[in-house]
Amino acid sequence: MSHLSLLSVLPELWLGLLFGLMLILDLRWGETRSSALCLIAAAGLLPLFPLFVWQSGLPAGDLLGGMYRLDLLALFFKGIFAAAAIGVILMTRELGRTIPRGHGEFTLLILAAAFGMFLAASSANFVMLFVSLELMAITFYVLTAYLQTNQGSLEAGMKYLILGSLASGLMLYGIAFIYGSTGTMQFSKIQELMSHAQGLPIPLRFGLLLVIAGILFKVAAVPFQLWVPDVYQGAPTPVTAFLSVGSKSAGFLVAFRIIQELFILQSRQWAPLIVWVAGMTILYGNLAAIPQRNIKRLLGYSSIGHAGYLLIGIATASQLGSTAVNFYLASYLFTNMAVFLVIAAFSRQVESDEIRAYAGLAKRSPFLAAAMFVALLSLAGVPPLAGFFGKFLLLMGAITEGYLALAIIGAAAVVVSLYYYLQIVYTMYADKPEDSSPIPVSLPVRLALWVCLAAMLGLGIWQAPLMQLSLAAISGS
Amino acid sequence: MNPVTGIILSPIIGTMILLAIPQRREDWIRRVSAAATLIPLLLALWMVFHFPRGVAGYHWVHRIPWLPALGIQYQVGVDGISVVLLLLHTLCSFTGVLVSYRIKERVKEYYIFYLLLIGGVAGVFASLDLFFFYLFYEMAVIPMFPLIGIWGSGEKAYATMKLTLYLTAGAMLALIGLLSLYVISGTHTFDLIFLEHFLRQNPIPGDMQRWLFPFLLIGFGVIAPMWPLHSWSPLGHAAAPSAVSMLHAGVLMKLGSYAILRIAVQLLPEGAYTWMPWVAGIAIMNIVYGGFVAMAQKDMKFVIGYSSSSHMGYVLLGIACLNPIGLNGAVLLMFAHGLMTAMAFAAVGHIYDQTHTRVISEWGGLARQVPFIATAFVMAALASAGLPGFANFIAELLVFFGSWNSYRWSALAAVFGIVITAFYMLRAVRTGFFGPLNPRWAGLKDATVFERVPYLILLAGLLIVGCWPRFLLEIISTSTPAVLSHLDALQVVAKL
Repeated sequence: MSHLSLLSVLPELWLGLLFGLMLILDLRWGETRSSALCLIAAAGLLPLFPLFVWQSGLPAGDLLGGMYRLDLLALFFKGIFAAAAIGVILMTRELGRTIPRGHGEFTLLILAAAFGMFLAASSANFVMLFVSLELMAITFYVLTAYLQTNQGSLEAGMKYLILGSLASGLMLYGIAFIYGSTGTMQFSKIQELMSHAQGLPIPLRFGLLLVIAGILFKVAAVPFQLWVPDVYQGAPTPVTAFLSVGSKSAGFLVAFRIIQELFILQSRQWAPLIVWVAGMTILYGNLAAIPQRNIKRLLGYSSIGHAGYLLIGIATASQLGSTAVNFYLASYLFTNMAVFLVIAAFSRQVESDEIRAYAGLAKRSPFLAAAMFVALLSLAGVPPLAGFFGKFLLLMGAITEGYLALAIIGAAAVVVSLYYYLQIVYTMYADKPEDSSPIPVSLPVRLALWVCLAAMLGLGIWQAPLMQLSLAAISGS
Repeated sequence: MNPVTGIILSPIIGTMILLAIPQRREDWIRRVSAAATLIPLLLALWMVFHFPRGVAGYHWVHRIPWLPALGIQYQVGVDGISVVLLLLHTLCSFTGVLVSYRIKERVKEYYIFYLLLIGGVAGVFASLDLFFFYLFYEMAVIPMFPLIGIWGSGEKAYATMKLTLYLTAGAMLALIGLLSLYVISGTHTFDLIFLEHFLRQNPIPGDMQRWLFPFLLIGFGVIAPMWPLHSWSPLGHAAAPSAVSMLHAGVLMKLGSYAILRIAVQLLPEGAYTWMPWVAGIAIMNIVYGGFVAMAQKDMKFVIGYSSSSHMGYVLLGIACLNPIGLNGAVLLMFAHGLMTAMAFAAVGHIYDQTHTRVISEWGGLARQVPFIATAFVMAALASAGLPGFANFIAELLVFFGSWNSYRWSALAAVFGIVITAFYMLRAVRTGFFGPLNPRWAGLKDATVFERVPYLILLAGLLIVGCWPRFLLEIISTSTPAVLSHLDALQVVAKL
């Protein structure tokens, strides 16, 4: 193992060390100090960020026998995963006693999922990619069904397991076809073959189609979206948050790697398929969200809608579209984290995820209500918030590439989404609370929410830094 | 400090200061809000007095590169049209803060949303960059939702949702139009000044202009409000708290016609040439249909609400003329109607806060009980009916002259609209304010000295401009030819 290889896998090593440390601490302390465990885990993830910044100076390339790739795209997404993990661990702390066997084990599983995401980000080989995605998926099956006494959680876990395994199977089958027609698992070699190829042989097309199906399952796009509402509603809140931010981002990362990098020349041929999927996903997610009464279920449907928007960027297969996807995912991270932090802090006190329970939140906790308000507006894409600029870039990409109808669908869905998001706002601000006791907000959650708020506003107003970063992540790869 | 940026930033900075003031210090919250709206008013007045009359182009331009990769820059400035509308906006927003002294519930949140709204509207009038134009436009729409939802009355849940969704749908349509314009023009910039010059030399092909124009026309037309997309507006006026109704009818509706003027007509002259006869027809629907609906209303706020959408028809008609006289009239009417309708809504709000009913027939003889408010309302009604001496008279006259050249039948129908206005306004005045006093309202209080200030400011604006219209018309007519200059070339070609 060369010097450079060791340096480039430092984040994974650090995460592994943290995992070990948490395991020992959990065994020693048990349930007694479980909230301290969460804080240690969250703090332990912080050094990763300077590490990523430093690593961005390292030369990009394939390492470890072509298994592992270090490039800006991987680092950008690892940043998203690490930030998401911190938010999720802070949410876990809010779960309090509802979680069996303390927070330690739960936190360990979250770190394991993050480890899978890290590896997926750096995969340069189909085997590595599949293994890391499985590591992520299996951890999520466990996490989803973690509340063993809760019927909803168990049902969600079961559903996710069955449908998820099917998707993994499809993907593996597809990988086999790709291997069969190219004779290699290595991304760089496939890319080389593709750049000389005149059109794709049928088995390769079939394999690619299956792999795309696997990706669409991960990002929750039509027609592979059926698992989302039940899983989002039933899973513990931190898991839902991690699914919506981490798992979805991982899906788009893989989409970048496979569709845009390997088959860049052929990506135009695939565009009509992706355009259709994107349009249907946007419409399905946003329309089905309208009648929802449970906030997590509603966010499940709305996350399907967001996947549709992000697919616009993949469909355009342009630099602008890809930059837009990165920008959108980064802003989606802060926005969604804010929403789920509020939900976690709220359900600790109220123990209900019904939208009606949020009545009068503005009086019970002005801070939580304001954070939720801003986050929902950012999700809907209202300026000057981060979510707006992401959507703006995506629509711009669609129109530049001539997908006017898709842009119009996207724009119309913004109005629909505003309707159901504003229903929540109206409930929080204008309805009378049934119980007007104030809702306490713990310091870590308060801090995390401030970070999210600052990011939503900051990225929405001063877009240039994140734009450059998103662009660099695309062009550097 | 650039005065235009000052007008935009002052309410936004005010919002930030408000966030830091504790909820219970209501006196400080009100003072900060008043200051945050008074400063823009003074700046706007200063600009109007120092405006270089007769010098076309944009003045006090402030430019900060923002996102050069996409051609986005923060660029603000005013020409003769926008400076007048900024004056209108600052007048309405400052008097709105004064009227809001009657808000007692959740004061801090109220002023935060109110100031955000004001900052957004000011940004739209001042922006010379299409991206920021859109950004401010949406920023102006969203605060309306909580403002009506929380502090409103009546059917507020339905009204506020309908308003927000209509306006956002319009905004989205306009966004598609703006992005298409950006792509089709091939300039990769949102810089409005640059686009104006560039498109004058290299106009977009005619057929493209013709399909692009409706996106911008209908998108911005929703807020104008253009028949048949106007139904959100009377509902919104009626449900909103007084100050928000004032700003909403007085200023927000003008955003639409301003945007049509500034972007659609100016950048897509051939599209405008093709579609404007249709707009003239729609404007007549606005005027006549809106007028008849206003006649049938029993609720005072609905009367003024429908009357507003009827009068915005005159503005649309003035724009549809595509000649300088009509355009001057349209812009002056935006100003005059804004002040007039703000005054009417303030007066109705004053009475409603005490009577808790706005049904005109339940009022009666109020002039005896609240002589000052009644006078203010009568003045507004007379202004609305186009009595000489008020700014509305000059403005409507110009619109008639302008449309006589272009659409003779529309001009006749528009004149008929004035009769309808006089009918329902005077009837409302007679039933509500004169005749025997309804004994239920014997305890009604008239405006205190402090409460009279906003009415006096608005009335002064109406009368000064009404008696000395050159004061504003000179400024407006500095810039109207520039809006039409793309078109002139076109018409010359058409005549050849």
